[in-house]
Amino acid sequence: MSRIITLENLSRLAADFAKTGTLVAPVMAENGRCFYQRLAVEQIDRAIFSGKTKAANSIKEFFFPRHELLCSFVRTGNDVELTDAPEFTTPQLILGCRPCEAAALPILDPVFGWDYQDRFFQARREKSIVVSIACTEADGDCFCSALDGSPENRAGADAILYELPDGAFEVRTVSEKGIALFDGRTSEGEHTGKACEPPQKTFDAEKVRVWLDGHFDDLFWASQTLACVGCGACTMVCPTCHCFDIVDEGSFLKGRRVKNWDFCQSALFTLHASGHNPRADQAARQRQRIMHKFSIYPEKFGCVLCTGCGNCSRHCPAALGVKPLLERLEKMKDA
Amino acid sequence: MQKQLQQLARRLLTDKKADVLIGYGLMENNRVGAVFITDPDESDRLIWNDRCAQNLVVYLTRPEVKKLGKAAVVVKGCDAKAVVVLANEGQIVRENVVVIGMVCDQVKDAQGKSCARCEICVDHVASNVDELIGEESSVASPALARTERFTKGKFEKLAKLRVMPADERLAWWKTELSRCVRCYACRQSCPLCYCNVCVADKNRPIRIETSATLSGNFAWNILRAFHLAGRCVGCGACTAACPAGIDLDLLNLTLVEAAEKDFGHIAGVEPGALPLIGTFSEDDKEDFIQ
Repeated sequence: MSRIITLENLSRLAADFAKTGTLVAPVMAENGRCFYQRLAVEQIDRAIFSGKTKAANSIKEFFFPRHELLCSFVRTGNDVELTDAPEFTTPQLILGCRPCEAAALPILDPVFGWDYQDRFFQARREKSIVVSIACTEADGDCFCSALDGSPENRAGADAILYELPDGAFEVRTVSEKGIALFDGRTSEGEHTGKACEPPQKTFDAEKVRVWLDGHFDDLFWASQTLACVGCGACTMVCPTCHCFDIVDEGSFLKGRRVKNWDFCQSALFTLHASGHNPRADQAARQRQRIMHKFSIYPEKFGCVLCTGCGNCSRHCPAALGVKPLLERLEKMKDA
Repeated sequence: MQKQLQQLARRLLTDKKADVLIGYGLMENNRVGAVFITDPDESDRLIWNDRCAQNLVVYLTRPEVKKLGKAAVVVKGCDAKAVVVLANEGQIVRENVVVIGMVCDQVKDAQGKSCARCEICVDHVASNVDELIGEESSVASPALARTERFTKGKFEKLAKLRVMPADERLAWWKTELSRCVRCYACRQSCPLCYCNVCVADKNRPIRIETSATLSGNFAWNILRAFHLAGRCVGCGACTAACPAGIDLDLLNLTLVEAAEKDFGHIAGVEPGALPLIGTFSEDDKEDFIQ
């Protein structure tokens, strides 16, 4: 026995939600790429609910926006009037994301709620419901199986949908939020959905962590990262990369303090005011990205800062990314 | 052609004509990316096929690559023009680089689709190279006269965009540029964006808003296009690199067309040519310069 929702009912659920809340779903853009984006009620039919779509952005931007207002200020004489950013109060539904996108959210929770409680991130988490769709196709960039994930990973999801051959979905709820969302929307059915086979596991994250300790100056970094052009595409499309920069915009008299995404692959990221740069070359910056994900973060928060989604490789102009680098590392260790 | 390339690489590296050969190789993830061959015995890692889309000239000015010594670089016709501009602008000493041109019909992008820039290509056979591999007769694409390309492919798309009413055109660009995340993959993949410190990185004070908002994104993308005016060789590396799939070519081609039609300047075809922007002539129509 399983719980089934027809595509029509799923669209209705989305439309009902969008009336009072914010609906986010994958959409095919004019330029031929798929993006997670906010949809108004009348745009629901543009959403693509599929186990195959690989979006060109990550759902992280609906929890940790690429640009976020923190406060605004007006200065009059010696007085400064500060206005806080509005609270995030609208319920949000992320419908139809990849399981590896949803899995990033619980990984990010500790860093946004560690010493400083990031109320912006936390309010969005609290107000959001995440419904993923089990993958029906893994491509050559996928590597969730190397990171305890799978094409039907439930981590971070409130419910997971499975495509059925007739276009309907089997619904498996994971949390109270998920149960409430689908309440009264499903019917009992015979069929159960199936995810695709997990991608082949090509490296061991724990072995990577052990190797990283003590190989800070290994030649691997300089020799294997020459192709990196130093853009931030990998970090921007990554569901777990979360570095930001706080910037004041506007004038001396009137302006706003904002939080913008920043990225470790840029030389500017670590450039000191003195002119010294502790990460002087691209090898050091690539090493940092791998170390942060596979060594620093696990040591501090107990989990790898990567879900194996493969977005970094899919969008790297130089055909690099986490998977090829760590596979190379694995091979070199064996040699 | 691949075999010829491998043999040539072996010879160049063995004879110490080059210390490092920058070419294409197959990555673990079955994608094609740059390989840096320093050992002649590794020359067989070089490949040549229609997925060799990246413009490798970008690596000639990277400090990490310069450290490896004298470089040889594999280029297509479109990429070769960037070498000429780099030399014309004093960024490389041309004699210190071995440029290996590959006759190219057309390439595919990372998604496996035909590169849209190849539809308007007039440089199937690379010019101003030191070694040329392949035969012009192997090119199946119809030969296009230089002026003829303005009515085809991307230029055609550009022409359609130009005749749109201004508000519609603005709305189109707003949709496209709203997706810009400011990763600067366009800049980093561009062989001619070689500034040590980009104006977008100036933060004391900030010159270009770093916010990925419409105002910040318009400022950044328009500024980059202007900095490439009369310099862009039209290789399409920026568009190929953009993770958001923004058709940056359209911005750059506007200026390519203006440079060519209004000033008779084609970037990257003439070694020793003076830069279009940054030089003046006594015949300039503006009198402030005289």
